[in-house]
This record gives sequence, structure tokens and C-alpha cells, in this order.
Amino acid sequence: MLVEEKPRTYERQRNADNKDWLFLNLPMMEYRQAWDLQSRLVMARKNNVIDSDILLLLEHPAVFTLGRRGGRENLIVSSEFLDKFGIPVIQIERGGNITYHGPGQLIAYPIVDLEVARLNVDTYVERLEETMIRTALNFDVQAHRNPLNRGIWVGNNKIGSIGIALRKGVSFHGLALNVNLSLEPFTWINPCGLKNVGVTSIKKESRQDVTMQVVRHVFINHFQTVFEIELVPSSLQEITRAMTTT
Amino acid sequence: MKEINELNLPDDLRYAEDHEWARSEKNNIRVGIDDYAQDQLGDIVYVDLPQKGDKFSKGEEFGTVESVKAVSELFIPVGGEVIEINKNLEDIPELVNNSPYDEGWMILIKPDDPAELNALMDRDAYLEMLKGQ
Repeated sequence: MLVEEKPRTYERQRNADNKDWLFLNLPMMEYRQAWDLQSRLVMARKNNVIDSDILLLLEHPAVFTLGRRGGRENLIVSSEFLDKFGIPVIQIERGGNITYHGPGQLIAYPIVDLEVARLNVDTYVERLEETMIRTALNFDVQAHRNPLNRGIWVGNNKIGSIGIALRKGVSFHGLALNVNLSLEPFTWINPCGLKNVGVTSIKKESRQDVTMQVVRHVFINHFQTVFEIELVPSSLQEITRAMTTT
Repeated sequence: MKEINELNLPDDLRYAEDHEWARSEKNNIRVGIDDYAQDQLGDIVYVDLPQKGDKFSKGEEFGTVESVKAVSELFIPVGGEVIEINKNLEDIPELVNNSPYDEGWMILIKPDDPAELNALMDRDAYLEMLKGQ
């Protein structure tokens, strides 16, 4: 079972308790576009235009992103080299250093009011990690935390990353889980500013053919269990309408 | 995470919705983040502050504070000019966790309109707001 479709309208949803989150299962979305969407959702969440938390699942076309504290020095190849592949480098406001996103990597952006949820950042990040660990385990991949570096690891290789930002108590950005992406672009950077660490994916570790669709299903089941919530499917249209009509 | 009644919230300060505090010092106002905010963020590893001389209107973002893997934006509780920043936070950001109201202060501002301070919440009103969440 995936997520039970609920016979309720958005208006009724607005009165539901905070155990229900809105859920957007999105296709490929440009980094900038997803950033804009998150920014609008953060404001809508903060102003109670949308009064439940929201989970966005998506993939990004190839892109390198830099955290608040930069990381361009950890890009080992030239801008000309990246231009040749048409891969942009974008500066953003999350924590952490440089990272790569691309097709075959599952991106989860929860828009959650941590103050309302009474969650501190550490607990929240632990839950994101736990969701990724359980997801990987479904494919017989044993991933673990590393007390010094957030994210999840298989040996010395990173399989899932975390980077979140808070605006007025609402968390955005989130996690990136390597499913079946090409790992080559990671060789062009020192991921997260760390040297002598590698990256891996569920596909590589499990030695099975793993599809993004199946991983999405598994992920949302674990997400609901770990966060003790229920995801209520919605659509971009519906959410955009809610943000513009209120 | 601390319970609300465990929070250290001195009653000589004013508080903003976004969990910054403001303290009147002669004609200036000292600003930092409060016990609730530092507790919520966890171990702080980096504080990004403005430059001396920068000017902000009330509610504008004046910096960021980064904990293990989260970046949080800081909003100025009273508009004015930054006349001093806490340089110690560059090397010892954890002062914000250990001493949010003293050694962990962030900026000193010369307010444009000192009356803005009075528009902020006192301890009791702030506690009410936290309980209401």
C-alpha cells in the first residue's frame, strides 16, 4: 500500500490535526524553480495560509550547489569544463558545503514548522537520517550515521546528504538520497568539503536494478512511520491555488 | 529540547517573535538570540554577522547562525546602524549556546527610533507567545 487517497477536500484538510502533511510527488524540477516553490511554501506555512506541514519529493537536473559558507574551492574542475556539460553552480542558503544533485537522486524537501511540531533541529535531522537508513535497508543496504558528519554513509562513502535552512522557525531544504544516479560528477568535487571520502548509491551497493519509482514508494512509507504522520497527496495546482486565493 | 518553564529568559530584556532579544544600553541596543533559539538550533558552529556601519530596518535579515547542519536567518528587532559586532563569535561560535545573553551577544545597534524597543515583547508576553504555539 502506498498512501491512501483520502476523500476530503483541501478546505477540510485545513482543519485536520497536524498529523497530516500535504504531499507533492513531483517529477524533475529545476533547482531554482524548486527553491522558489519552497520559499513561497515557507511563507504560506508561517502565515498559516497552509496550516499543515508539506513534503516535496522530486529530482533535480544536474546542478552543483554551494552552502552559506561557500565551497567553490572544493570544485576541482574548471567552470569551462562544467559549461561544456551545461551544469550550473548555484549559491544557496542551506548549511554545509558544495554538493551535487542530478537525475537518479531522490530529493525530499519537507516544509515543516519546527516550532509548532516542537522539534529541535537535532531530532529533526535524526529523523531525516532514520528515514534514509530504513529506505536503504529495504534494498539490503546497511547505511549508518557518522557522528562527525551529518548524512548517512556506507563505510566511508556517503549515500545520503542533509542540509536544512530555517526561516522564522520553518525548516526547508532537506535531504538527497543517491538512488541510481551517475556518480561521476561527484569526482569533480570534494563532497561537503571533505577530502578522502567517496560517494555511493543504493543501486551500486545493492547490486540490483533499483528504480526511482520503487524507492519513492518505500521512502514515503518510512517517512510516515518515522515522523508519525500521514501524507495526504496533493498537487502543485491545488497548493498554488491555496496560496493565491487566501 | 527544553520545556518552556526551563528556559532562561531574563526579565530586563525585550523579545522578538523570531527569538532575538534586545537590551537597552544607554542610547544603544544590544542584540542576540535567546535561550529558546539556541536550544532549538543545537550546537552552533558558525555565526555570520553584518559589518560595522551596516544599516537595517526593523525586521530585516541581519545575519545567519549555523548549527550542525541547519542555517537559521536572523532578523533585526530594532532598526538602526550596527556600531559594534561580537568578533569572538568568529572563533568561538558556541558562546551563543553557552552564554546567549552575555558573551554570546551578536551586535550593538544605534537605533533610528528607540521607541521600537518598547514594541517588542517583555518576558511575560514572550512566554505567552511560546506557550501559545
